[in-house]
Amino acid sequence: MTISKALWNWRVIFLIFCLVLSIIVINPQFGGSEGVVIRSILPNSTAANSGMENPSPNLQPLSKEIILSINGKKISTEEDYFTQLSQLIVNQTVRLETTKQVYTFLAPETIEDIGVRVSSAPTSNIRKGLDLEGGIRVLLEPDSEISPEDLDTTVNSLKERLNVYGLSDIIVQSAKDLSGKDFIVIEIAGVTEQEVKVLLAQQGKFEAKIADKTVLAGGKDDITYVCRSAECSGIDPSRGCSKTGDGYACSFFFSITLSPEAAERQAAATRNLIPERDGTNCYLNEDIALFLDDSEVDRLKISCDLQGRAASQIQISGSGIGRTQQEAITNTLQEMKKLQTVIITGSLPVKLNVIKLDTISPSLGKEFLNNVIFVGMFAVVSVVLVVFIRYRKLKIILPMVATLISEMIMILGFAALVGWNLDLAGVAGLIIVAGTGVDHLIVITDETIGGKTETNWKQRIKGAMFIIFGVYFTMLAGMVPLLWAGAGLLKGFALTTIAGLTFGVLIARPAYATMIEKLLE
Amino acid sequence: MNWMQKFYENKYKLLLIFPFLILLAAFIQIGLQYSTTGDFVNKGISLKGGSTITFPYSDSYNLIQIEEKMSATFQDEEITIRTIHSAGKIIAVAIDTNLEEEQKIANVRDFLETETGLSATDFNIEVVGSSLGESFFRQTATALLIGFLLMGLVVFIYFKTLVPSLAVVLAAFSDIVVTLAIFNLTGEKLSTAGVAAFLMLIGYSVDTDILLSTRVLKRLELPIMERIYSSIKTGLTMTITTTVAVLVAFLFVHSEVVKQISLIIIIGLLVDTIMTWIQNVGILRIYLERKEHKK
Repeated sequence: MTISKALWNWRVIFLIFCLVLSIIVINPQFGGSEGVVIRSILPNSTAANSGMENPSPNLQPLSKEIILSINGKKISTEEDYFTQLSQLIVNQTVRLETTKQVYTFLAPETIEDIGVRVSSAPTSNIRKGLDLEGGIRVLLEPDSEISPEDLDTTVNSLKERLNVYGLSDIIVQSAKDLSGKDFIVIEIAGVTEQEVKVLLAQQGKFEAKIADKTVLAGGKDDITYVCRSAECSGIDPSRGCSKTGDGYACSFFFSITLSPEAAERQAAATRNLIPERDGTNCYLNEDIALFLDDSEVDRLKISCDLQGRAASQIQISGSGIGRTQQEAITNTLQEMKKLQTVIITGSLPVKLNVIKLDTISPSLGKEFLNNVIFVGMFAVVSVVLVVFIRYRKLKIILPMVATLISEMIMILGFAALVGWNLDLAGVAGLIIVAGTGVDHLIVITDETIGGKTETNWKQRIKGAMFIIFGVYFTMLAGMVPLLWAGAGLLKGFALTTIAGLTFGVLIARPAYATMIEKLLE
Repeated sequence: MNWMQKFYENKYKLLLIFPFLILLAAFIQIGLQYSTTGDFVNKGISLKGGSTITFPYSDSYNLIQIEEKMSATFQDEEITIRTIHSAGKIIAVAIDTNLEEEQKIANVRDFLETETGLSATDFNIEVVGSSLGESFFRQTATALLIGFLLMGLVVFIYFKTLVPSLAVVLAAFSDIVVTLAIFNLTGEKLSTAGVAAFLMLIGYSVDTDILLSTRVLKRLELPIMERIYSSIKTGLTMTITTTVAVLVAFLFVHSEVVKQISLIIIIGLLVDTIMTWIQNVGILRIYLERKEHKK
């Protein structure tokens, strides 16, 4: 009787409405999840050629494409996925079934050649941030003052670079600090490869010079196509690998297609050079030198038959080193991939410096999540215990616990809705909100049950809300400056706290006041 | 009525000396810290630049041996090794260095890989440029100041009387200063998250003060001591629940960041009980007495 009366009130109904909405948005998969989610597809890989696409970063986690089976064998974990792949025989037909469609392709030589990055399927729409999932966080600072347009271009070029490199699960955004300095924050989930850093910090000014004259620059104006398939890129067969001092060095090559203007420029530059014969070979007296960010990467002789010709296809080359031959090959191919990436995406408007670089181990991230869940539950139980000792009434304790839990659910629902990543800062924010939540519920309880008998309930609740709003505004005062301080690194924390406090103060805590009023009246 | 209660009720002016003595001691500590180290707080890597490499601990590691070998291998660098505890057990090892260049950090990681047998993906590596660390510290300190001023403004608009508002602001200020001094004494190094914790402390410290001021200034139908005692009852329940929750986090959480936030809040909450129930109560009572006198 009193319970139904307690629930039948607009404040409580509104709270329940928000809760239901949050749970719908979060969409927790209680039965666990099937398959592995596709994180990114490497360009020119077997998977990309069979039609698989990079997931859009704006997709809700549960709407992302999930691999369900390979050749009819069900995939439930990342381990299953790799086991199935390792059992493939080269050129065997592979049927890969996802939530979208079935892809068929021939098995390539190595698992890496398939080119799919996966991670375990999400169990809800809450995006786990780097601290919980592992990955790289890079903070870049422009070397000199930069206009808002240039900053925008830089952010977009960096995004494109990472996409071209084969990473799509990324966040690239600009940030400002209190003194007006610009920063770029990049988060790449699930990747711990350091070489990505080079890709970001590099301005990527690619130039080809003949006799100190630039004939070619990176970017789409001069270079219309960069070959990345095996037929026209890879370890250079004519130069190969060789032993040097205490290691090995290898050369790579890939061909690029020039725009007519760039080809004409190249022709003009070679027209007046002098051919030099060396036995049967004939080369021009000047080399073509390749520069990346003003340092020379390679220097090639130009054969005489190219003189004055507007060749639209030319070969770019370079080299890499390693302690063993295998390592040298791997590094060389990586160098090639980086060079291809910067040639495709062109130069950034400004040089960037890496000023903060965090690498978070995926295994530590997972462990941290479990630990936080455990600590959170333990903390809630201890708080309930304290409150129980003080009030000893289930009519107070149960609504209190229900209110606290619903505040947490609302924050998570909001985070899922707007696409926030829940990371360490977010977890800290949740702790603060829970802390003030308990405090406020205690104030409401004491104001209402301990108030003088001659004042009515309405006035007592009003008194309680007066205190609560006072605390709310002072808390906001503390959090607001954090939105801008220090390159926005504490923004996530401030936002979670502000959002949580607001939901608590406007929705959950008034509903609690009504509930205990009706239950105790 | 026992003697403690009697003392609390009657000697509130004498008692008021106590929070101010603590505040003075805190200022002395911070001053000494400044004169010996050049900074009023012990800054960690995230505030001064450098790198931290963290990896999970296993009983098979001989940390003393690793440390000796490490300092021999990297003689020219500042490298310190420390352990992260949770529930009384070592759960991770953190290596702080002054290194900012990628290659040098990679050398240390490679060294640790060979020593521990872990693979590269088991390491957390945090690198902060020294310029960023410094600007971060300045900025968060500015944020703390702005937050504090905004808080003062809110409190003043809320109560519209000067002395009680100032008492709230003074309580929050004392809380932050004394907490900082105690934090220094623990020998911990402040990280960016720690600075955020001080900002949170504003909120946690002010809530009991607002509760007290509201009850004392607005519930005029009750005698003064009854108003104060009712506030103490509510306020202490609030402080105890928060302390218990944060203590659980401090003892059991594996993340250093959350651990430091928890530590600062625990210290702050304990200091706040003195600042609210002795300092703020004392000032409010003197204020009310003078007001009564004028009538």
